[in-house]
Amino acid sequence: MTDTTASPSEAQAAPADLPRNPPQRALPLNRELAGVWANDRGIWGQITSVSHTTLGLRFMATALVFFAIGGILAMLIRAQLATPDGAFLDTELYNQIFTMHGSIMMFLFAIPMLEGLGIWLLPKMLGTRDMAFPRLTALGYWCYLFGGLIMLTALLFGVAPRDGWFMYTPLSSSAYSPGINADVWLLGVTFVEISAVAAAVEITVTILRQRAPGMKLTEMPLFAWYMLGTSAMMLVGFPPLIAASVLLELERAFDWPFFDPLRGGDPLLWQHLFWLFGHPEVYIIFLPAAGALSTIIPVMCRTRILGYGAIVAAVLGLVFLSFGLWVHHMFTVGIPHMALAFFSAASVLVAVPTAVQVFAWIGTMWKGRPELHLPMYHILGFFLTFVLGGLTGVMLAIVPFNWQAHDTAFVTAHLHYVLIGGFVFPMMAAITYWMPLVTGKARVRGVGEAAFWVILIGFHGTFFVMHLTGLLGMPRRIDVYPDNPEWIWLNLTSSFFGFVMTIGFAMFALDMLLQVTLGTRARRDPWRAPTLDWAMPLPAPSFNFSSLPTARHLDRPASEVMLELACGDGALPGAPRGQREFLVTSVGAARPDHVAHLPGNTSLPFALSSSIGVFVLLVLWQLYLLAGMALVPVAVLIWVWGRGLAPRGPLQPIEIAPGVTLPVHHQARQSLGQSGLVAFLVANAALFASVLFGLAFLSVVTQGPAPPPAMIDTSRIAWATGLIAGAQLLGMALSRGGAPVWAALGLCANAVALIALLAGIVPVLDDPTAHARDALRAAMAAYVGLHLLVACGMAAFVLDQYRRGEITEQIRGAWAPWRLWQDFTSITTLVTILALIAQKGGA
Amino acid sequence: MKWLWWVLAGPTLWAVVFVAVYSAHGAVCAPIPGPEGLTTGARLLLIGIWILGVVAFWPLLRAVPTGTGRAARLPRWGAWIGFFATVFTLFPVVFTTSC
Amino acid sequence: MRCRILSATLLLAGCGGPLSTLAPSGPVAAEIAWLWWAMLAGAGVITLFVLGLLALAFGRPRETSTRRWTHGLGLWFSLGVLTLLLGAGLVVGERILPRDDGAVTVRAHAFQWGWSFTHEGADGAPVESAGLMHIPAGQPVDILITSEDVIHSFWVPRLAGKMDAIPGRTNRLRLIADSPGVYAGLCAEFCGRGHAGMRFDVQAHADWPPENWPPEPERGRQ
Ligand code: HEM
Ligand SMILES: [Cu+2]
Ligand SMILES: [Cu+2]
Repeated sequence: MTDTTASPSEAQAAPADLPRNPPQRALPLNRELAGVWANDRGIWGQITSVSHTTLGLRFMATALVFFAIGGILAMLIRAQLATPDGAFLDTELYNQIFTMHGSIMMFLFAIPMLEGLGIWLLPKMLGTRDMAFPRLTALGYWCYLFGGLIMLTALLFGVAPRDGWFMYTPLSSSAYSPGINADVWLLGVTFVEISAVAAAVEITVTILRQRAPGMKLTEMPLFAWYMLGTSAMMLVGFPPLIAASVLLELERAFDWPFFDPLRGGDPLLWQHLFWLFGHPEVYIIFLPAAGALSTIIPVMCRTRILGYGAIVAAVLGLVFLSFGLWVHHMFTVGIPHMALAFFSAASVLVAVPTAVQVFAWIGTMWKGRPELHLPMYHILGFFLTFVLGGLTGVMLAIVPFNWQAHDTAFVTAHLHYVLIGGFVFPMMAAITYWMPLVTGKARVRGVGEAAFWVILIGFHGTFFVMHLTGLLGMPRRIDVYPDNPEWIWLNLTSSFFGFVMTIGFAMFALDMLLQVTLGTRARRDPWRAPTLDWAMPLPAPSFNFSSLPTARHLDRPASEVMLELACGDGALPGAPRGQREFLVTSVGAARPDHVAHLPGNTSLPFALSSSIGVFVLLVLWQLYLLAGMALVPVAVLIWVWGRGLAPRGPLQPIEIAPGVTLPVHHQARQSLGQSGLVAFLVANAALFASVLFGLAFLSVVTQGPAPPPAMIDTSRIAWATGLIAGAQLLGMALSRGGAPVWAALGLCANAVALIALLAGIVPVLDDPTAHARDALRAAMAAYVGLHLLVACGMAAFVLDQYRRGEITEQIRGAWAPWRLWQDFTSITTLVTILALIAQKGGA
Repeated sequence: MKWLWWVLAGPTLWAVVFVAVYSAHGAVCAPIPGPEGLTTGARLLLIGIWILGVVAFWPLLRAVPTGTGRAARLPRWGAWIGFFATVFTLFPVVFTTSC
Repeated sequence: MRCRILSATLLLAGCGGPLSTLAPSGPVAAEIAWLWWAMLAGAGVITLFVLGLLALAFGRPRETSTRRWTHGLGLWFSLGVLTLLLGAGLVVGERILPRDDGAVTVRAHAFQWGWSFTHEGADGAPVESAGLMHIPAGQPVDILITSEDVIHSFWVPRLAGKMDAIPGRTNRLRLIADSPGVYAGLCAEFCGRGHAGMRFDVQAHADWPPENWPPEPERGRQ
């Protein structure tokens, strides 16, 4: 990103506010906008919807359904463990059930829930009308749904994953997990992760570039800081998991031995990659919840948050530190004490930013006057539960204690204290807080409070004793314990209260249902909040704001602001051009930069995710040839997707307020699309780095057998690599051009590199099934090949735009994205070549 | 935008030093089979990298800018976070048994 | 002696049992148990402190210094407590680590789903046993842990922490049994269908090396 709007000197000058737009009648304005922004009718309208309100809610609703399913599985686990000989499940089924419980709760409940919250809430809170890439939101949702359904179907047919939610190899490799159970996990979860990466990309871009004019980065609502941290972590944290899953699936499908110790692989490589994702994951889950708390607590206490700056710094610290702790899940794998000590220290240190937040929240409550509304109950539940979970977390970070407690019920207790305390309680607070904005209705009193108490008692009754169960030696993931009568009363207690907790959650669901059906109309701005999410009618309209809030609408009582915005006082009122539009602002000071035109309702996301789903199913059925062919429709649809971005009609500058005229995004220097591509490339770089880490790990740390002597035709390799390197340097230069010739030459350069790879290198690669390092080399060649192919496609896309006459002096079409992609491709290609040469030399 | 890069500078420096010491430790230890530790030279190397990393925060702490708004001093805080983290997470190089 | 008294009272309090980490029977496990009780006490105090602050928040609004909350409590208080704890953890960790001091070694080999153990017999020839491991009492023993197939984990809670058995690697764990007797052990890492049943016993002998293999079982579980 090249703009420098937030350089300190320039940020000092407060941006002048935009002039007011002339007042209009609210109702016609409303109608005009609704006509442009509404979903189509009926079921079809649900399929084609790209609205962040619809999709955000649907993400959350689906996540809650999965929460219920995961909860039912938890009840089966608890029923089984209530007695030492196990009530009814056989071991095979029990293993599937606890694996699915963990996987559903993490991948199909927690992550989608927070994505949904961010997608639904952020545009409202930041004062814009939708997320940056509405079609991507929809794509993410469908990938999540289809991936989740694949996993559920497997459970119904008794072929669900059964190796635990972290799928340790070699237990999950084909020798010890024949059948498709493990493939269901690897493919299903990876399919779902498409939605995580998509959400991370658009959340990042939305927060950085769509804030209301004048809402400075340094003063935006804390929830936005938290979500920015979360999405940054998702961009870097999910790729290691995706990389690991792809490698393991390759091992299972084609016998490429990345994790097989007999052929130079290493089971610990899986653990490193998994936890490199897995630990940040728990903070990815916690941060949005903490963001909700930072928003709700001050409102419940009728004050402003205490220590805004310290909290932002704490988020910053958490985002980074949480990437330096993953080895605390591996304290017992035989790593030297010094290395353990580094990670133990980092794990302990990460408690500091957490403590800063907890004390800032309590300080906020001291500063204000806490009022005991229902969200506040859940916040108190959060405090009680999360503090205990945090303290047991610190205990587990202490290496010697971890050696005892690891893999016991103590850890099960700890992880539920932090996940339910740090995520479920805050989410219940958030749901009860924002429900009026969803339904437009006020709550029916009574049930919600009762639900809270039942959940709280049920939760602590279930999990508090489980600490002791663990210390008395009960390992996790066992289905029977006939020889250990001393665990019986503990487990029975846990099971009893587990059912109490379930009743509590059912009551919570009932409360929501009652609110939807019997609730009376809610007052506008029922909590008297200072944030923009309440500055709109209830329930929230599809376009959020009739006119967009600007500097003068910030930090004021929402009910006041709402009236002004409804009458068109803010920027860009209505939809006079019949287009979905919002403002794009600069990163630092939120200065208006241009107007973005958005695509409307479309079934393209549904079609694309369905065709990815077909690919996934074909791989699952091991029809690899057909699966390869199924990629063709995927590629075609991606092309069509890109075509959808072309400008429709002539592009007039738009007057957003009297005397302030901005260009449309096609003419912008730095469009949202470019920012989004940068964010995506960050994730892609993390993926690449994960593979490089694997290469280094296998070469240096793993003590397996040496690779068989390479049969390298050096001269052939030399000319091919030389050709590729040259073509890529050329490609980088060409993508900076600006005429059809350059694009044509760029296409050729990438094609030459691709052919050199296919003809010069692939045939002489060593057999990838022989040794892990050979397999990794082949995987890297495939990675480079895929990127070259996409680079070809992008150059061709630019050529096609010239052919259609879409590229002019002002409109640069796909040049900028191609250049970004080309730079990334060329650099990773060159790094790959260097890494392989270095590794070859070392081997 | 530039301001954001400054925010990231401190924690990133920690990440770099952490990765450097951790990988150096991995590389030095890989060939040593027994439970007992590094040679003095190897340990001094690790300590050297660590000290170098800590010292590198000095120019950073002097250079970080501020901005305006409620989180204006975030770059400075970021630098301090990085500094503390570098000191705290890596001090075990001094005394722990290593391989 | 202190440990004896401690563990005797604990048995009464329901902390006993053949697999209890809270009924240690050797210095390695005892040090960790001690660490646990210290952490429990600290955690209890901190919980009460935080909940107290929370309770006090319900009242009329009052002026408070921001820095006292974010820096005083959030940063310095927590950093102080954590530094102390980390130090204690690292010191204990160092003390219970295996050393190159010529300790007796026994091999523990895990497979789906069971354990086989290899001891050094009196004449130096290896002696195998399945499901029951023999060690000397009252002196450090290093277990060399390997795996045949998937990852397992070797754990005798009353003697020491756990250590994974990973195919392709040999891991080393030190344990010490104070007195002769039989100690229960199990596989702690999920390893498939037979995981729950992957138990074994460790017998500690007063005489070492034993006169004849397999050694006489000494009566009675500890
Ligand atoms: C609804 C109440 C819940 C109950 C009663 C419950 C119960 C359990 C139990 C008994 C286990 C242990 C399985 C074993 O030791 O073999 C377990 C594992 C687990 N739970 Fe929950 N749980 C609940 C909610 C949640 C939530 C909300 C999350 C996450 C957001 C979660 C995440 C996990 C994970 C990750 C595991 C580990 C699975 C594995 O070992 O592979 N649980 N749960
Ligand atoms: Cu972790
Ligand atoms: Cu096992």
